[in-house]
Amino acid sequence: MAFLFCAATVLRVASAQVDVVKGAGKRAFAVSGFSGDEVLAGQVTGVLKNDLRLSGYFQLSPLASAEFVQSGTVRGDGGGVTIECIVTEAATKRSVLTKVYQGSAQELRHVVHKLSDDIVQAITKQRGIAQTKIAFEWTRNGVKELAVMDYDGYNVRQLTHDKSISVRPRWSSDGRRLVYTSYKGGFPDVVEVDLYTGQRRRIANFPGLNSGAAFSPDGQMLALTLSKDGNPELYTMSATGGNLRRLTHTHGAESSPTWSPDGQSIAYVSDNLGTPQVYLISRDGGEPTRLTVSPSYNTEPDWSHPTAGSEMKPMLAVTSRARKFQIGIYSASTREVIPVVADGADNEGPSWAPDGRHLVFTKAVNWRPRLYLLDVMTHEQIQLPVIEGDASEPAWGP
Amino acid sequence: MVLVTAVALIICQGCRPKPKPQPLGELGSVPGMETGSDVAMGSSRPLGELDMANAQRGMFAPVLFAFDSAKISQREAAKLPAVARHMKANTSKTLVIEGHCDERGTAEYNRTLGERRAQAAREELVKLGVPASRITTISYGKDKPANPGHDEAAWAENRRCEFAIAGP
Repeated sequence: MAFLFCAATVLRVASAQVDVVKGAGKRAFAVSGFSGDEVLAGQVTGVLKNDLRLSGYFQLSPLASAEFVQSGTVRGDGGGVTIECIVTEAATKRSVLTKVYQGSAQELRHVVHKLSDDIVQAITKQRGIAQTKIAFEWTRNGVKELAVMDYDGYNVRQLTHDKSISVRPRWSSDGRRLVYTSYKGGFPDVVEVDLYTGQRRRIANFPGLNSGAAFSPDGQMLALTLSKDGNPELYTMSATGGNLRRLTHTHGAESSPTWSPDGQSIAYVSDNLGTPQVYLISRDGGEPTRLTVSPSYNTEPDWSHPTAGSEMKPMLAVTSRARKFQIGIYSASTREVIPVVADGADNEGPSWAPDGRHLVFTKAVNWRPRLYLLDVMTHEQIQLPVIEGDASEPAWGP
Repeated sequence: MVLVTAVALIICQGCRPKPKPQPLGELGSVPGMETGSDVAMGSSRPLGELDMANAQRGMFAPVLFAFDSAKISQREAAKLPAVARHMKANTSKTLVIEGHCDERGTAEYNRTLGERRAQAAREELVKLGVPASRITTISYGKDKPANPGHDEAAWAENRRCEFAIAGP
């Protein structure tokens, strides 16, 4: 029972935080821009401002009222770019960051993302998200492929070219591997792709449904749904295949597993008692604990795993159905789901950033899904740049 | 005016190698993996490759379901004896039951709901005398609607099981 106690404690702390810190104060930050190459300076300034805005920590402000002030230069030489950046505390004139960055012109956005994360780290002591990636389902002409992009919606790269259905990507915590569900072989199979080599491997192709796979935090195991023994049940297996272990035995369907940060337990969806609700079970099986009770439909749990040193506590985000689909965060103390995205649209598929503060999710207006970011501290939503076709079911990676 | 205190050489996005953009290789199976086993109450998958490209579709009316339900009503169950008769008369054929959902549900939950719909149809057909080993299920969740509309009529059409006949 130890694991249940731990998990519940963690969730309780987390939900309290959402209530208390909502609308957290932002630091006033003035981006003065860069001298030097005018075209490059404009690009760098644009990316930097967007990164600082998306970080959630800063309010871009005029020089006079700024707590922090940025200045710098940008030089281009033969396809390379050098950025010098200084950030000072306005009141004390103390240097917060003084650093030079170099890279190729093609990598300009990445170089600025690194700079942005350094600014976030220097001022807040927190790890930024500007260098992270998001995987998602990209639907065009009735075909669902997977794609990966930078966290700000740029640098979209198509990952599969199967002209089939590829869905539900999930990352390994080192960012090297993705698991997803592929219909390429005619049936829903779990496939792993190594993002360094491009090599793909079929991990689970048992009879019936193989889907919803999620890496354990150490990358050694997968939790997933299989229907080989009857109705869809929850299993774990080795990430290299084999060592299959059945965790649930119900008359309903189990789906959407997500691991606790310590890797000891798994939250998942079951409709065994009628409507779909979120449950918690040990990675070794045993008696599950029901977490959510209302509203009558809670699915797609995603457990945040804030990095070491983060001010954020682990939280469990879900997709609930009220009048519309909405994103909520589970509060273990009240057993309520606190809505964080509830508007006139259908909001689904929340996935946490490594900072445990931001979520990416799908918002569908008039049945057209688009990707949005949410800062759970400020409740601000930001739409990512719209791409051709439909983007949905995102997974935020390292 | 000493600006340079540290030089970060940003090559290949720092220390994180970036995903290679080249097309991905063919899927390989994990050696020694359990495949094709046929469990009586579970889903079965044919041992050989199923020629779905040449499967016969549309021979039988789809079985329809109520919202968020995998129960086959009496009225819909009446469509199944025709499927059973065909399968019993064509013993070399494999029946593929596709389970589908309407779009009003989250993706993975709908994928399990579609599987349960296909399994419900499979159970009825086994009761009607079709060997379980000749039936296989595929859930598409909400990914393959029959009707692209977004109204009650379209949704009712999309909550369904379709039947395809494969094999020699």
